[in-house]
Amino acid sequence: MRFFRSILPSLLVSGACVVSAASSWGFEDATLTVQSKGAGVGGGLKEKLAVNSPLSKQVTLGATDTLKILLTTTDGKKAKRPHQAFLTVTEQASGLEESFIFSVKDTGKGKVELTQKDLPTPLLLASEPLTASLVIASFGSSTPYKSKAFEITVERDPNAPIAAGEKPVRYGKLEEIHHIFRSDPKSPPKIITLVFTAAVLGALPVLFGVWLTLGANLNHISKALSSAPLSHALFFGSIVALEGIFFLYYTSWNLFQTLPAAGAVGLVAFLSGSRALSEVQERRLAGLR
Amino acid sequence: MRWLFSFLVLALLGAVQALSSSGSRLLVVLEELAEKDKYSEFWDDLRGRGYTLSFESPKNDKLSIFKHGERAYDHLILFPPKTKGLGPALTPKLLLEFLKKDGNVLLTLSADHPTPSAIVSLLLELDIHLPSDRNTLVVDHFNYDTVSAGEKHDVLLVPAPKALRADVKNYFEVDGTIAVPRAVGQGLGNATPHLAPILRAGSSAYSYNPKDEAEIVEDPFAVGEQLSLVSAMQARNSARFTVVGSTEMLQNEWFDAKVGAVGGKEQTTTANRAFAAKVSEWTFKETGVLKVGRLQHYLNEGKKNVNESAVGVPEHNPGIYRIKTDVSFTIELSEYTSTHLSPFTPPATDDVQLEFSMLSPFHRLSLTPLAQTANSTIFGTSFVLPDQHGIFNFRVNYKRPFLTSVDEKRQVTVRHFAHDEWPRSWNISAAWVWVGGIWVTVAGWVAFVALWLYSEGVEKGVKKTQ
Repeated sequence: MRFFRSILPSLLVSGACVVSAASSWGFEDATLTVQSKGAGVGGGLKEKLAVNSPLSKQVTLGATDTLKILLTTTDGKKAKRPHQAFLTVTEQASGLEESFIFSVKDTGKGKVELTQKDLPTPLLLASEPLTASLVIASFGSSTPYKSKAFEITVERDPNAPIAAGEKPVRYGKLEEIHHIFRSDPKSPPKIITLVFTAAVLGALPVLFGVWLTLGANLNHISKALSSAPLSHALFFGSIVALEGIFFLYYTSWNLFQTLPAAGAVGLVAFLSGSRALSEVQERRLAGLR
Repeated sequence: MRWLFSFLVLALLGAVQALSSSGSRLLVVLEELAEKDKYSEFWDDLRGRGYTLSFESPKNDKLSIFKHGERAYDHLILFPPKTKGLGPALTPKLLLEFLKKDGNVLLTLSADHPTPSAIVSLLLELDIHLPSDRNTLVVDHFNYDTVSAGEKHDVLLVPAPKALRADVKNYFEVDGTIAVPRAVGQGLGNATPHLAPILRAGSSAYSYNPKDEAEIVEDPFAVGEQLSLVSAMQARNSARFTVVGSTEMLQNEWFDAKVGAVGGKEQTTTANRAFAAKVSEWTFKETGVLKVGRLQHYLNEGKKNVNESAVGVPEHNPGIYRIKTDVSFTIELSEYTSTHLSPFTPPATDDVQLEFSMLSPFHRLSLTPLAQTANSTIFGTSFVLPDQHGIFNFRVNYKRPFLTSVDEKRQVTVRHFAHDEWPRSWNISAAWVWVGGIWVTVAGWVAFVALWLYSEGVEKGVKKTQ
């Protein structure tokens, strides 16, 4: 969810601090310390904080570090306990923020401690430094205080990765999906096909050539046609017609057109063939073949 | 037929000035009916928009939101009771039933009395969290009304809400600031997409228990913009449930109160009246309502441009298609706003999407607006069907925050190639070798028959061998 920070109040507040008409909340004696677990008291960062002046030095919060802020809240010049004393940590990019409550005594002395465990996951995973602001306000007419105090850089332990967590379902536009089609079946390069086709087609003249060397001839056509012209014509014609039917079936016909035609031509072949073949038998018995 | 129906509805709508798209019977549940005069301007606004209001107290024995198993009212406004709960007629279970039957509810809360546990548990059902100690109040020491709450800071001045996200239209835009007196802040659960905050508290606001934490707040329920002052829940069946954190912001005195901001120079008038109108318009389905008109899919036989007239378009919504063919899809969407249907335009970065899916989407395509009629926009796209055969659905699943959900599904069969739709063998170059072989065989056979019938025997003495 997107958030929008309103900077107007803090601008007005910083403006109001200049005008001394009403008393305003603030703090004094503020110290910021960052200490690692196990390190001595002297080690770690220790800085003083002042009203309306953000710290120029970056504050690093490591995996075992504890960030502690001690301050005394004041209303005008008097130390007083406010109703609201927060340390607000904001992630600039998304505007997400979380506030940590100061435990303030009656005298105005307040303390807050912050470790990496206290930070919510979106802030822990931020890539930019987080902005930390102090908010001190209460009921009544004193001007409340809200101003950026320092910046925190979260140093995560590389050995302990934090799961980003499942993103919650939100309704919105989803990614486009385009179906990836299977590629069409491919044929090998045409030149290979043509070479082999030529080889196959070339078998026919070779066959005719071999037949010729073996003494193939069509010398008895006239004899055959003179003794049984119709039968031979019909018989050879029906052989050729059958091949024609196969060609038509291959290119355009379906089976229901092919079968009657083949049946008719087959009948013609049968009837004419008996006469034609008996003529061939006559020639064979006459010793001409 | 669909055209005729929508025309009839349009004619009926024209008769009233504004009409909710889901009925005009509104029940207001107030414990003390004498208090209803404090909100008379709000009732007048509602009546002006065509609602018939009934006022009942939860203590009334005869009160029932159901009659013969159906809803007796279309909308409910629930005011916070001072006693234990909302009574036996408005238990959380019955209110959830009301929502399931497409009723809309506007619930208000007040920090003046502790919130009854029945309401807390009802809101928890919807994943809206209220502070566990029922006495809470939202204060903001930076954005309060100096005129009425200079000391207590419990009247928040909140700027008009902006759009929830870049791709969601803002239905609650008003001019000016909104005064929220003595509110109960809500926390919204993160897991569900059905919740959305309408009005968020400022980043310096917080919620505390005035009895226990009068001196200093130690453990606030929620802080800053995580506090939602007006929250919206829209269920899957598009029933709407709005929680308004402050009952007082609907009162006459706050509808045009003069308020002064902290550090501001002059006093301004609140925009509460306009905001209350916007919130009630959304809750009672006057705004943010989508209607689907004609949905059409057809085979794109060579025609590349799509027009919305039925002339010249092949048979539409066929039950069966073939794989890898060009298909066009169009859907007509209108947005209903108070009185009439108008063409729907999704926000700039948003798109209506079509999913062509079997078990999961094979295509998810953004629909482009192709044409506009007087009442609707026609969205459409063209695409090639996947090379997988099976039973597919054309699905437009458009659910967005603050809009009623659109989920239209049309089932089609996608068949594979028929036996005569494959490429022929002479078109496949790899097959030429075998095709050639077949015809070489045919030629050889015919030649052999001719030779066998008509040849003269070779020289005598050669034995007759095969």
